[in-house]
Amino acid sequence: MGVFDYIQLGLEAVFLGPEFFSLLGIPISITLAMVFFGFLTGIAVGSTPGLAGPMAMAIALPILISVFGFHPDALLPIFGFLIGIMKGATVGGAVPAILFNTPGTPDAYMTTLDGYPLAQKGKAKKALKLAHFSSVSGDTFSDVVLIICAPFLAILVERYLDLPEKTSLLILSFAFIAAVIGNSVGKGLISMGLGLLAAYVGTGEDIYPRLSFGTQELARGFPVVTAVLGVLILGEIFKSIEDLWREKKQNGQINVIEQSGDQNLHWADIKRYAPYIGRSAVIGTVIGALPGVGSTLAATLGYTAGRRQYQKNKNANDPNFGEGAPEGIAATEAANSSVSGANLIPVLSLGIPGNAAAVFLILAAESIGGFNPGPGVFKIPSSGVNTELVIAFGIFTTMFFANALNWTIGGYIMRSMGVMIRIPKHILLPIVLLLTLTAIYVEQTRMEAMWFAIGFGVLGYLMRRIGMSPLPFVIAFILGGRLEDTARQAFQATGGDYFFLFTSPVSFIFMLLALAVIVYTARHKKVQSE
Amino acid sequence: MKKLLIAGVCAFGLVAGSAVSAMAEWAPSGPMKMMIAFKAGGGADTQARMIAEALEERHGWKVIPENVTGKGGANLARALKNEPNNGSAFGIAITDTFGYGMVSAGDKAGFTQADFTPLTTTAGFQMGVVALTSKGWNSWDDLVAAAKGGQEIRFGAMSPKLADLAYLLGQNAGIDLNIVMVKGGKGVMNGLNAGDLDIGWGAGIQAKAVKAGDMVNLVSGISSKLVVSPDAPTMGELGIDFNSDGYFLFTAPAGLSQEARDAIASAIGDIVNDPSTKAGGFIAKAFGGPVTISGAELDKVMADAESSAGALMAASE
Repeated sequence: MGVFDYIQLGLEAVFLGPEFFSLLGIPISITLAMVFFGFLTGIAVGSTPGLAGPMAMAIALPILISVFGFHPDALLPIFGFLIGIMKGATVGGAVPAILFNTPGTPDAYMTTLDGYPLAQKGKAKKALKLAHFSSVSGDTFSDVVLIICAPFLAILVERYLDLPEKTSLLILSFAFIAAVIGNSVGKGLISMGLGLLAAYVGTGEDIYPRLSFGTQELARGFPVVTAVLGVLILGEIFKSIEDLWREKKQNGQINVIEQSGDQNLHWADIKRYAPYIGRSAVIGTVIGALPGVGSTLAATLGYTAGRRQYQKNKNANDPNFGEGAPEGIAATEAANSSVSGANLIPVLSLGIPGNAAAVFLILAAESIGGFNPGPGVFKIPSSGVNTELVIAFGIFTTMFFANALNWTIGGYIMRSMGVMIRIPKHILLPIVLLLTLTAIYVEQTRMEAMWFAIGFGVLGYLMRRIGMSPLPFVIAFILGGRLEDTARQAFQATGGDYFFLFTSPVSFIFMLLALAVIVYTARHKKVQSE
Repeated sequence: MKKLLIAGVCAFGLVAGSAVSAMAEWAPSGPMKMMIAFKAGGGADTQARMIAEALEERHGWKVIPENVTGKGGANLARALKNEPNNGSAFGIAITDTFGYGMVSAGDKAGFTQADFTPLTTTAGFQMGVVALTSKGWNSWDDLVAAAKGGQEIRFGAMSPKLADLAYLLGQNAGIDLNIVMVKGGKGVMNGLNAGDLDIGWGAGIQAKAVKAGDMVNLVSGISSKLVVSPDAPTMGELGIDFNSDGYFLFTAPAGLSQEARDAIASAIGDIVNDPSTKAGGFIAKAFGGPVTISGAELDKVMADAESSAGALMAASE
């Protein structure tokens, strides 16, 4: 079987999978339907300030698993839904940013700078159309890069990395994530250390469960959903509830600006903004491929690069960046949207997630079974079928189906989401809280799970209060077991060599890089804050 | 003669009827919790979930599967022993959990065989030492020759018992092996495919690849020949007194009534032995066919598992 057979199988798995319903006699597969529902959910969630794509993915995952079961057939519908959310949330984030000066997602902050002034000038619809076009262009570009690079990188990894190198590569990723996410390397490292500590409760090679204080409750370790949903979602909810309580009730009145003039996006406009979109798409894709660097940085870099270019070319009476320049929207949205596809490069080729959305794709794969993100996915056996490769192409297919939805109907749906800002937070937050706890209980039908989740929620709240990013914690928790296993195996495979991390050149370079990333970022951030 | 025949039929009917009614009498008082010591989504987990489904279909028992993984089944054992012993909780692990795994942990294990009422086995392991065909080894002797020629050999094992057996294989052949602990048979397969391991134990997961010619079984780890590789020598033929014979085992907390024990064991046995059920079909395909040992015979298997563990530990020290 060649590559094209796998592409065909992947397409068939998505389009000819189990039928959900039939439309005018054409059967619509469950996977396609799930992508569609995920996409709608994603746009709605992205447009709602206070919610974000990863949150919706986190809550949806345990519920989806309980509906579809632990069977490889469940992989594509569940991945489809999660990818739909991821894609929908990316475009949705621009809606409140442009209409109400409130970014729906953190990386849409830069969009407010030019989007809101444009809306004030009565060009909201045009700004939304431009945001949508730039976002979808960036996203599609990124997906193409993913499909070309991931298999290639996976084969390189397979050929050149042995167990010691794999261990040092994990250490390098950890260093990178701890250093780059958040505003302090020290806090990033502490967050990561806490994640590892939590991951090591109840695990290990010894038959006696470590760090469990002799209790049966801790002997099985912390279930992944409790740690991840606790720190990421409950922590955020606790903090928002406190914010709400502290703030005086804000004036809920929303000013409606009269819209006027030409609201269409013309071919001439597209030609004018294309260079900004193109440059930002490349920036976002490169940033996305590095584990741990999120879309917020991509948006900032894309915006800055766009501004530099704009200053050189603009006419005297064009508005500056920050005063309602459409180019600002194009540069930001293309950059932050092109992160999501490229982010899956380290996921699929190494099994290392780079951001929160990728965390949930890995979690889905690990909980359901039958698909192990990593180099093995892209191997073509001499006979028989590598089902993981079929699923990988199935995933690519769902991504392009979501893109097609985005190109066709995404714009209309997105422009109708302005109402989401009217949902008051004091109603929204308890609903999300209840949904999260339900999702955890659905997956872990035992009461301790609730207590663990609330405990992790308090931890997440405290981390946010002292300005420590919870993402290194989550990634360390998920990869902690892998780090330990790989290190043990590398040690055993080298015949018990204590210096296994430093004997091969590649591994040694990775370790040096890990140290360099920490030292360099620490100094750089210190200079920045001074 | 005719009278005798009628009497015989009546007697048979009575005996059979009473047996059926004795079985039919026992039923769980509520939902049953089925603990599964294997990771969700794997072959062993799939087997357990299919059996749970069939128990519900055939007997109307409400069975709720729950994965209690880790420590080679010891986590399940520690959790299961404290559950009520009225048939409302039972679990599936492997016989080794209550053999080598338990014995090697000593006092730290936190459970003994006396804490459980074993119900039935479902299948055995087609355990073999497996390598990629591309390595160029057609037999165990080829591998020994390569190792003697100075090649470093990494041997993947998924339990301490299998690590000991791997050590004995190396010692017996006079070669050094770097024994690497991995998670489950899937971990061995991934390690072999990624080139991280040279050989490893496979409990049957390798059968498809062996049939396709991508992998080869070099040694049979069990006391009999492997179904897919009848040419591979057994451990005994290589002069090693130990083997990896073991089974998937359903067990319940100690003190389960005989009636409940028989009812659950025969209900599971009937499903597993019926190839027309999903579970039966799956076991035939994935584990080389059903092996259902229950009652007194199973008690003996369990006792042997415990006693042979000490001997293996002593031999590999």
